[in-house]
Amino acid sequence: MMSSLLSPNPAVNSDRSSTRRKKKKKIQNQAENLENNSAIQWKSDAQQQIYSSKLLYALQQVRLSSGSSGAQASASKRVRDAAYRVLAATAKGRSRWSRAILTNRLKLKFMKKNNIAKRQRNVMTVIATGNSRVQKKAKVNVLRLKSKCLPAFQRKARVLSRLVPGCRKQPLPVVLEEATDYIAALEMQVRAMSALAELLSVSASSSNGSAMDISPS
Amino acid sequence: MNSGLLEMLHYSQNNEMGITYFNENEQFGLGGAFMALNSDQGPSGLLLNGAMKPEPCLENGWSDDFRRILSYENVSSTIPRTLSCPPDVEAPMAEAVVGKGKEVVSSFSSSATGRESSKKRKADKTQHLKVVAEEKTEEKKMKVCEEEESKITEQNSNTKSTTTTATNSKNTKGGSANTKENSKVSEAPKADYIHVRARRGQATDSHSLAERVRREKISERMKFLQDLVPGCNKITGKAGMLDEIINYVQSLQRQVEFLSMKLAAINPRLDFDDDNYLVKEDFLACTSNIPPAPSEMVNHTHLQFNTLVQGVQGSSLNMVENPMEGMLRRTISAPISIPHTFLDSSNLNQIQHLTWEDELQNIYSTEYQQGRSTSFISQPFSGLFEANQVKMEM
Repeated sequence: MMSSLLSPNPAVNSDRSSTRRKKKKKIQNQAENLENNSAIQWKSDAQQQIYSSKLLYALQQVRLSSGSSGAQASASKRVRDAAYRVLAATAKGRSRWSRAILTNRLKLKFMKKNNIAKRQRNVMTVIATGNSRVQKKAKVNVLRLKSKCLPAFQRKARVLSRLVPGCRKQPLPVVLEEATDYIAALEMQVRAMSALAELLSVSASSSNGSAMDISPS
Repeated sequence: MNSGLLEMLHYSQNNEMGITYFNENEQFGLGGAFMALNSDQGPSGLLLNGAMKPEPCLENGWSDDFRRILSYENVSSTIPRTLSCPPDVEAPMAEAVVGKGKEVVSSFSSSATGRESSKKRKADKTQHLKVVAEEKTEEKKMKVCEEEESKITEQNSNTKSTTTTATNSKNTKGGSANTKENSKVSEAPKADYIHVRARRGQATDSHSLAERVRREKISERMKFLQDLVPGCNKITGKAGMLDEIINYVQSLQRQVEFLSMKLAAINPRLDFDDDNYLVKEDFLACTSNIPPAPSEMVNHTHLQFNTLVQGVQGSSLNMVENPMEGMLRRTISAPISIPHTFLDSSNLNQIQHLTWEDELQNIYSTEYQQGRSTSFISQPFSGLFEANQVKMEM
């Protein structure tokens, strides 16, 4: 009797809450899928093969000329950038950091000119005013204040968000999610690159040895 | 009755404060209850719990209470087994008893109907608590505890706000509604239950609820990270784990930099013509399949020019490379024999377009300076390969 009287109210409430739950479930499932699948996906051999082949292909495109752009350090930087780009491409843009990496290159190209102009302006102002330290001090003070005011946990969360590309202003749960995917991808990248380096070094050494044998003849 | 209370005292000495508090109140509550209890109240209490399994032992008034005490003891004994729930399981009982105490007092002051309703509510709670004890699953306990607490908070707020009769009537409705909700919870416990209930001692307003949901999300993700990062299992605090995670990410990034340096050192020594040769073969096979054929053609010529440029600029190193080519073909082609995969992928096409525009300009500039571009464009693939060799030998 009581149940029949009270059934409509809970039913209505349950409908609304169930729809809300469904929406939340969808979002959660998507997030969970990303989390659950990310580590598994990056661990698979197929991914590593795809990545290493793409990397090799991209490495051929890297300008390794040391004449125009400087010492070997810049070459390694270019290789590293290429490696990160290829990693982001392999991620197929499902994660925030991969999208950030892919868009950063375009941004950099467009903003190079702007940055150079800005730097020149800064230099001019410094020369004019003669206070190169003032800016630094202010920045340092602000940073110190920030670090002291924030609790340790928040500080570390900020550091982590800076480490993961594209997550500087994201809230903590998003940062953590991106970090799981990023760590899995980085592990795969290290494995692939070390295998590739070993392979190339072995082939290089063997070919050098053979060349040494052949050249005198 | 005294022996039962003595038993409770013994248990209270062994267990935590929550239960001691609960025991004291239980004495008070039960003492009050015993005075007003009749044997008829037991089954009437059972009637409301249509969804819950009625206890067969709840027959007599006195035996009821003994068994209730024993059931609480059972619950307390199960507490150490489940780590997650002890405070919550104890807490609702304490709160339940406090609520009961208050309600019993209020019921005494009110009419007989009020008394009956309070007993019914008590019976409800005992039923629910026994169900809690019997289920012995973490999630269900948490949910039911939360249900209990939400009920209790509802009821407490009700009792505080209005008069006793009004509150009693509300509480009866609340009690039956809560049984409905409990039945729903028990029916669908496995559905991801995002709707969070208030807990003991915590506010029920939306802000804190949302905060708790957020905190749970964060802790869930920290667990995932804990599995990924090696050595994180020993550290329990969130800050410590974050430290480990940060260190691990930094070490991985440093490893990538070191490996990229290594690859950059290895790269100029190698002539990638063999890979281009493979690429050319696959490209010829795949041109029919790939829609953006003209772009592929353009990209393909880039490849050739790139290697030529590299060959020209690193000419001193390339003198040695001719005999290497055979070795390279054998070594590189074997494991990395899927260049066609990235030819097929659209992503790589985009990247190619991104990276090759400036490459193209550089290549064309150098090539025009050297005056060799026309000859290279016209030659067929195998001819190009020969041209490379010829150029190297020069």
